[in-house]
Formats: sequence, structure tokens, C-alpha cells
Amino acid sequence: MPIEITMPRLSDTMEVGTILHWHVAVGDSVSSGDLLADIETDKATMELQSFDDGQVSQLIVSEGNQVDVGTVIATLLEDGEAKVEEVPEAPTPTIQKVVETGHRVSPVARRLAEVYGVDLQTVQGSGPSGRIIKRDILQVVDTVSETTAAAKTTSAPTPVVPSTPIQPLVSASPWQEERTVPLSNMRQIIAKRLVESKQTIPHYQVTMSFDMDPLLEMRKTLNKQLASVGIKLSVNDFLVRCCALSMATNPEFNASFGGDSIHYHGPVNVGIAIALPEERGGGLVVGTIKHADQKSLRTISQESQYLSKKARENGLSPDEIGDTTFTISNLGMFGVDNFTAIINPPNSAILAVGAAIEKPVVRGGELAVGNEMSATLSLDHRVIDGAMAAIYLKTLKELIENPASLLV
Amino acid sequence: MSVATAQRVIEFREALREAMIEEMRNDERVFLIGEEVAQYNGAYKVSKGMLDEFGSRRVIDTPISESGFSGMCIGSAMRGLRPIVEFMSWSFSLVAADPILNNAAKMLYMSGGQFGCPIVFRGNDGAGGQLASTHSWCVESLYANVPGLKMAIPYDPYDAKGLLKTAIRDDNPVFFLESERLLSTTGHVPEEEYTVPFGQALIRSEGTDCTLISFGRPLHFCLEASEELAKEGIYCEVIDGRTIRPLDIDTMVHSVRKTNACVVVDQSWSFASVGSEIASQIHAICFDDLDNYVHRVHSDDVPTPYSHNLEQAYLPNTRKICEAVRAATYNA
Repeated sequence: MPIEITMPRLSDTMEVGTILHWHVAVGDSVSSGDLLADIETDKATMELQSFDDGQVSQLIVSEGNQVDVGTVIATLLEDGEAKVEEVPEAPTPTIQKVVETGHRVSPVARRLAEVYGVDLQTVQGSGPSGRIIKRDILQVVDTVSETTAAAKTTSAPTPVVPSTPIQPLVSASPWQEERTVPLSNMRQIIAKRLVESKQTIPHYQVTMSFDMDPLLEMRKTLNKQLASVGIKLSVNDFLVRCCALSMATNPEFNASFGGDSIHYHGPVNVGIAIALPEERGGGLVVGTIKHADQKSLRTISQESQYLSKKARENGLSPDEIGDTTFTISNLGMFGVDNFTAIINPPNSAILAVGAAIEKPVVRGGELAVGNEMSATLSLDHRVIDGAMAAIYLKTLKELIENPASLLV
Repeated sequence: MSVATAQRVIEFREALREAMIEEMRNDERVFLIGEEVAQYNGAYKVSKGMLDEFGSRRVIDTPISESGFSGMCIGSAMRGLRPIVEFMSWSFSLVAADPILNNAAKMLYMSGGQFGCPIVFRGNDGAGGQLASTHSWCVESLYANVPGLKMAIPYDPYDAKGLLKTAIRDDNPVFFLESERLLSTTGHVPEEEYTVPFGQALIRSEGTDCTLISFGRPLHFCLEASEELAKEGIYCEVIDGRTIRPLDIDTMVHSVRKTNACVVVDQSWSFASVGSEIASQIHAICFDDLDNYVHRVHSDDVPTPYSHNLEQAYLPNTRKICEAVRAATYNA
């Protein structure tokens, strides 16, 4: 019997998936754990791995096509299957399967193993009778992502090469042609969620400027000292910590509007908006730094770099994009002075951050040259009133302008 | 900033009374009937003062004859009135099983849609405390088995009033199960008009590790267990189902998809129960989200003991719930 490979359900809300790219061709031999395809879901781009050994006999759904979850997208022939068909008298096939059923796996553990591509054969079950349970799979996933993150931070920094392609001045470029492009799954989600946000949440904005000299000075010192261990803190890493710490005295900023109630979240999970490159279909995702108020600048920096890199290269897993309680969108690195952002539901606020810009400033009654950064909060007025926003920004300002407290 | 409003706090029994009084003022077809509801102000003082306001045509004392007055009220409901029938205890409804199950629940169906039966049966359900085997009935599993009726079990005064108003306005027979142990509990009930719709469960406490589902009084033990377990780092999401028919399985499943573990706490016996029904539905709808089978906590499979100690050990309690959650989350 050929093994049927179906479109897996990779997130709770996924109903359809798009094959972005096949990593195998008909006739290729694959083993369990090999990468078969990149699949775009409603939330992220994820890898589909093989759970079986065999030979690819059919690729039923071609690249760029969208199918329902559960649809057969390819088939594999088990090793030696073609021969068995030719020699029908060999009646010994079932023994292997009997051996495999020795594994007890809880349903959700099996599903998570599929999502994260964990080979169940390699997992030691901790449940009754050696049942593999959720905790066992998450432990494997954690270990893998920690080693990936560690490997990343110790590697030598790669030089930044400007990647803007230079368009020739003559001859009509493809981008000038009139065309209609169907929405990617991600763009559909962005369109739906942000319209919903903007239409249902009574948005308003409050802006404040921050003296960035002390923070930039401290960042320079720290980065000089940490260069040897491969750590480079970004301004955004500092802001993640500042915003998270400010929740302690301003819990409404870590809350969600719930119709007839306001829900205050326990953990502070700060989302960071990550723009995706054009070649991966563009768009943006919000990566989550969980319990950001309890993490050091170094940990925030490592996680943030890991999330950005993974988002751009492989796509983020549902766990890495869920459960945000507050979001930061930073366009400072593009030299933007200031802008306003749309709230990322169910958050009640988002901080839009501009660049730290060198400009004439008045310090102690004197005209001087200093770095100033403007940041704009967008707020859900059902949860947060203007005066509360002002108090939050004041808390933030005290942290940013006296950054030594971020180290403790 | 938040505006501090003085919250009106009343007893569960007062909330029930307010629901009945408001609906009787609004709708002349509504009346209350049962043993001791009028002159004695109700065996549990739920109907206190109602005879004075509405008179003996609308607040009616009956003899000890559940089968008779239930059947009579079903007839009046079929002819256009909207009776509220108080059972002093649901234990006493057993002698009226034929009219309430065979007539009320099936009338719309059997009459081919000619006669509805907009009636509310309400009263104390479950162990009241040392009332022994025959007077400590939990009828939810027994009666929820029957199609054609609705069943609500309020946990706090807010829901007691809101759900009872919905029950009285409903065109179907509603079995409204109160707990004697909750009648004196207090809670916020707004002065403004409101109702609580059927079929919408309420998340009473949020959590990430185990979904705890219950109805009525055992929710108190679920919330206690949830606090106890939080100290061990196990965070429960406590769901108040509010109504058994209709059952808001969607909210329950949504939570289980998040926690991957579930314990159902049902004060009736385990065999063929509301608990086994919910467990079965969860297994069917979100099997792939479960890290363990759905665990259940019920009353023990014996008649209710009279002895105080034995009765406490027999009922679902905080200790049993904690043990079940630890087992369901592999923390035993």
C-alpha cells in the first residue's frame, strides 16, 4: 500500500494550506524526518517532514496551490513495495508494524510531534507505561531551540550587506506592469484582523519624546564588553524590557477588553513586529517574548534575534507567535521619525517606535545636540484612558532616561 | 480611571425571588405554585412576601401531591399560562416523573406542534446536608437524559436571577436546579434589568494546564482546588457550564484545546451521567488535543450516607478534585 501524505493541521485555526515549495521530487528516497515541503498556513510558514521511509511516487498538489486540511498531497511507496507488487507470493509484510505499536503516545503529543517534526522513536515517554506525553515533546523542542539559539549567538557576526537591487533606468521593469496578485494566506489574515481591530477598537494615540543619550551611551559600553561573547543588544531589546517593566505599575497595558469585563493577564508577553522579506511573500508576523518582565537584556536580545531570524528563514511556530499581551512595532532602523500603529488584538495597546535622531535639544536651559526618539502609543479607549496612557509613558520615560535600573 | 460603583450584594434566595417577582409583574400569565410557597413564605423563604404582593390566585399553596399539581400546571401551560412549580426538593419530583418527563418534555412533539409547555420546575437539588439517601437526590443526570426539556444550574446570585428570568420566558419546560447549600450565599446582582442566556458557559477562572468543568455547587470546590493547585504550579481553567441542556460544549472544547487536559466534576453518580456525556463529547470533538483521557469526579457509587463524615467523603470535594487534576496532568 502506498503511504498517503495529507495536508496536516498545523495550527488550531488552520483550514487550508498552500504548498510553497517541494523539497523532494518523484523518485526521491526519503527517510523519516526528511524535509518534504514548505507549507504556508494562515499564521506562518512551516516545514512538513516525512514520518515514514520510502520513495516519493506522486506529488499530487503542485507548488503555489492551496488545498483543504486532510487532502492527500503526495504518496510514498514503502521500501521494497514495488518489488512486492511484482512478486505477489511473498506474504510477510505485517511484522514491522507490530513492532512499532509498542509506542504509547497521547493524542496531543502525537500532534505536537507532527507540528515540530519530532521523531517519536527518539523520545522517552514519561507517562504511565512509558506513554509519550505533551511534556516529553515540548522538552525535546525546547532543547533543540535552545541549542539553535546558543549556536546563533556564539557564531561570528555576519557583515550587513545592502541588498536593495538597483533597477536599470531604461527598459520597462516588471513592477511597472499592470497586474493583479491574489492575496497570500498571511495577507488575508493581516487584512481581516487589522480591519477588525481598526473598526471595533476605539483607537487613539499619545506621543512622547525621549532623551536617548544615556541609553545609547550604556548600550555602546555594554556592546563593547559583550562583543567577545557575540552579543549585540539593539535599542529595541532595551525597549522590550522597559515596556515589560512598566506593566508592574500600569497593569491595564497588559490587559484585554472582554465585552463585559477587562481581563488582566498574568504573564507579560511582549510581541515584536517582524517584517518578512519579499522573497518569502512579504508581510509581517509578531514574535512573542514571553515573560519579558522577568528576562534580562541578554536573554531578550538572544530571543529577539532568534525569532527574527527564524521568522525570515523558516517561519515561526504557533507557540512563537501566540499569547502576546502588548506589542512593539519599531521602524527606527529605517530612519522613520514617528508613526502610529494599529492595535494587535487582543492587546489593548501597541507602541510605535521611531528612530533615535540627533537634533538640537534644550537641556537645562541650554541649546545642545542630543539624541531624541519619538514613540507613539495606540490605545484601546475601552480599557485605557488618556491620563493612564500619559502615566505609562512617564514610567517608560523614567526607565529609558535612567537606564541603569534595566540592569537589575 | 475606573469609576468605583457601589455594588449591590444580595442573597442567592433573594435573587431567585427578584427574578420571579419581576417576571410576574411583567407577565400576568406567570404564577408560582408549590408546597408552603404562599402562607409560609416558602420552605426556604425563597418566595417571602410574594403572597402579599400577588395574592392567592397567583401564589398558590398545594397539598403534598407533586404528581397532581405538576400535572395540573402542565395542563395550564398547554392552555397558555406560564407556571413556576416549586419542588421543596427535587427528591420529591420523583413521584411526579410521569407528568414532568412524559407530558411536559414530550408535549410539543406528541401534539405535532399544537401544544407547547412553557413551564419552570424549580427547587433544591443535591445533598442539603445530612438529609440521607432518599432526600439528597441529584436529578441532573437522570433527567438530562430526556429530550425536549432544558436544564439550568445556577452557581451564584447573579446567574440565579438571570437564568431564572430566561427560564420563565422560555417556551419550553425548564428544569431549574438550585442548591440548598447555596441559598444563603451572597453576590453582586445589579438593580438593572438583565438576563443570562442559556447555552453560554462562563469561565470562572482562567488557567493553562487543566480545564475543570462543573455546574452548581461543586464549582465552589473546583475554585478551591484551583487555588490549592496553583500553589503547586498547576493552573486550572474553571468553567461553569450554567446549563446542561443546552450544553455549551464549544467553550469547553476551546479551553481543552488550550490546556490539553480536562476534569469534569459532576455531583451525580458516575454511571451514565452528565459527566460521562461531557467526557464523551470532548473525546469525540478534540481527541487530538488531549494529553490524557478526561478524568471525572462524581459522588461515590452508593446511596447518600446520613453520617456527616461519610457524606462529606461521598460528595465531590476539594481533595478529590485536586487528585483528579494531578492525575490528568501527570503530576500524581
